Amino acid sequence: MSGFAPAGDPVIPDYGQASNCVIDNGVFCTDWFADQWSSVFWPPLVDHIYMVLIAVTIGFVVAFTAALIAYRKRWLAGPIGIAATFLYTLPPLALFQLLVPFTGLTLLTVEIALVCFTLVIIFQAVLAGLAAVPDDVKRAAVGMGLDTNQLMRRVELPLALPSIISGLRIATVLTVSVATIAAFVVDSGLGSPILKAVSSPFNTQFIAAGALAVLLAFVLDGLLVLLGRILTPWTRVRV
Amino acid sequence: MTDTATATSATSARTSSTSAETNSSIVFDNVTKTYPGQSAKALDSLSIEVKSGELVCLVGPSGGGKTTALQLVNRLVDLSRGEIRIGDTNIMDLSPIELRRTIGYAIQQSGLFPHCTVAENIATVPSILKWDRKRIEERTKQLLELVGLTPVDAWLKRYPGQLSGGQQQRVGIARALAADPPVMLMDEPFGALDPITRMAVQDEFLEIHRAVGKTTLFVTHDIDEAIKMADRIAILKPGGLLAQYDTPAEVLANPADDFVAEFLGAERGLKRLALTTVAEVLGRSRARADDAESRRAPMSSPPEDRVDWPVVAGTMTLREALSLVSAAHSHGARVMDGDRHLGDVTLHELVCPPATAVDARGTAGVRS
Amino acid sequence: MDVVVGAFPFMVANLSLLLEKAGEHLLISLIPLLAAILIGVPVGVWLGHIHRGEFLAVSITNIGRALPSLALIAILIGMVGIGMLNAMIALFLLAFPPILSYAFQAVNSVDADLTRAARGMGLGSFQVLMKVELPLGLPMIISGIRTAAVLTVSSATIATIAGSGGLGDVILNQVAYGMEGVVAAALWVAVLAILIDQFFVLLLTLASPAGVKHLRRASVAV
Repeated sequence: MSGFAPAGDPVIPDYGQASNCVIDNGVFCTDWFADQWSSVFWPPLVDHIYMVLIAVTIGFVVAFTAALIAYRKRWLAGPIGIAATFLYTLPPLALFQLLVPFTGLTLLTVEIALVCFTLVIIFQAVLAGLAAVPDDVKRAAVGMGLDTNQLMRRVELPLALPSIISGLRIATVLTVSVATIAAFVVDSGLGSPILKAVSSPFNTQFIAAGALAVLLAFVLDGLLVLLGRILTPWTRVRV
Repeated sequence: MTDTATATSATSARTSSTSAETNSSIVFDNVTKTYPGQSAKALDSLSIEVKSGELVCLVGPSGGGKTTALQLVNRLVDLSRGEIRIGDTNIMDLSPIELRRTIGYAIQQSGLFPHCTVAENIATVPSILKWDRKRIEERTKQLLELVGLTPVDAWLKRYPGQLSGGQQQRVGIARALAADPPVMLMDEPFGALDPITRMAVQDEFLEIHRAVGKTTLFVTHDIDEAIKMADRIAILKPGGLLAQYDTPAEVLANPADDFVAEFLGAERGLKRLALTTVAEVLGRSRARADDAESRRAPMSSPPEDRVDWPVVAGTMTLREALSLVSAAHSHGARVMDGDRHLGDVTLHELVCPPATAVDARGTAGVRS
Repeated sequence: MDVVVGAFPFMVANLSLLLEKAGEHLLISLIPLLAAILIGVPVGVWLGHIHRGEFLAVSITNIGRALPSLALIAILIGMVGIGMLNAMIALFLLAFPPILSYAFQAVNSVDADLTRAARGMGLGSFQVLMKVELPLGLPMIISGIRTAAVLTVSSATIATIAGSGGLGDVILNQVAYGMEGVVAAALWVAVLAILIDQFFVLLLTLASPAGVKHLRRASVAV
């Protein structure tokens, strides 16, 4: 786990014959990127996607359940919120390292930490969405004889959807970014090509991996926007 | 086309209703409500009976407990003391959920579900009552026709966000009527509408009410709305005390105390004139006097001195006709029904209508 | 488990090391934070005041959120070289987006009726800003700074790969300090982040005008 301090001069990785761009350590060497795509970038990208999807899914299930409980039992909202905020405030790297003694240098460690970061965002989004359901709509629903579950399923949850989706979007984008740090624990994800290139500051590898992470974040964000549009058709109609 | 459709659906809505035959009165028996943590009573020993098919308005200033009284009926608020019965059933004998499904409920801003289409909104209660799809569909269309949103197919798939305030309110009423409840509770349903839309929706609702005959408890802070809509008015004063419970005519003619008189305002006399139509006055005075002049040929031209009298419709209220007469600086108005001349009313008849005319609606209101 | 227990004797034995590293840590996080505040708040407030640049603010937030700090630091190693400067530039770039966009939103979202009423009473543009928009927007501006502060303290841990010092030096050097040292430093960073966060929560409470305390619900800022 040591030795990340870089050496003075760029050490060009020996990936066979090098172009001028690679020898000069240019900002971005397209030819090299294309050559190395399938070996250096594609596998970490796939790992990264898995890592993020698992974390967001578990985080969603946990935070969503917690938010529903906190919504029913208002006094729990404070303590749960504080606990979630606390986890969110911990620096990712510190949280990873604090988990290592318990779960080792494993994917489990990474996922636990990533889930912790998604919790507070999704929890608050669900709770805020539920709290924002207009009172007159709830009163009408209760007055018509909907019971608590019907109220939740038919009225409160659908109306909270826009807020829930926006929470999911933020959580997903953040997780994509934080998951790069997982490379300090396991050799996986887009952080791994970056860390490997640190000791020999090779620009193309940093920039390509960083750009892929940003791109992945935007693609997943876009997919969630699309999902939101499909699930909430009423938000787009105006006279 | 629209009219016949409305009429048909109104009839069928009535046929399916049981309210006309069975007792669906709402009885408040010495009802008191005190909210926890408040020393003042929100409602103090209220005892009134809303008879089957009657429309009763609860009016009063804020803090008079009118909304509380309404929400006690569908148990959105729990009673402190006393008893409320719908028909022969004490409301405490049913679970709140069961009870609410048998009561139509419409509120200000309509409370429509923004994420549901018009059709889905109306189908809310039928669908939790597990009606089959076809029946729900038929009922939805029938109700949209009833509230005048035609052609029905153009409205079914819209979202509340695409409707005007008046249209939303109509859907709200249709939704309240969906499961054909014998009793309707309406909490300032037209409070958020602009005056012109409000008048139109009031007229439509009155028509619907006459057609379907639901026992209706209607909360409003607008005394003019109450005078226009109600068979009887219950006026509540701060502290939740009942100040007066009577027909609009009686309330206006004989306010029970200073509070009621003040609440009705200085225009009480004029408001009273809003209870009678020109045609009613014409009928009374003609029946009484039976003079030759009133049998005049329908198309005859007016006498010299009445040429500049304004023309009014028989359905206008005395108050409206008086306003026109005043504006025209005339001494009376000519009453027309389309092309047909029904007769003339003089300024004196407008201001001091024959007694029977004013009483007409009052007595009709109490169907005892 | 033993490792975690062992972290505490390590703290006692190496207090001066941890204090020195924590000092460095604060230095490399707070200087860029201060710079980002000095530039981001005025620019964001001004853009919000003239209601321009919504697209810019939103885009900057999105990109800022998606940009992995690790990648940013690594890229700057290539461009700036190693050392504290690199780390500070990277942390500045991370702190700037939330500060700018919160400051923008804070002022931009002040109820238009209020500013219209203020102008109607004869307040000039600058007076509207000072008397209405800033007092009302202050809690949200501080929320943005709070987000940025936690983010910089967090990311400063990673900046150690650029040779900037700080507690990250210990966390990432198990060979020299052992697992006890790693855990001890991780705990210190965690506590540091929480303290900074709580400091801003306190500031938020103090800064909220009495009439708008409920606005503090802006809470965890992302």
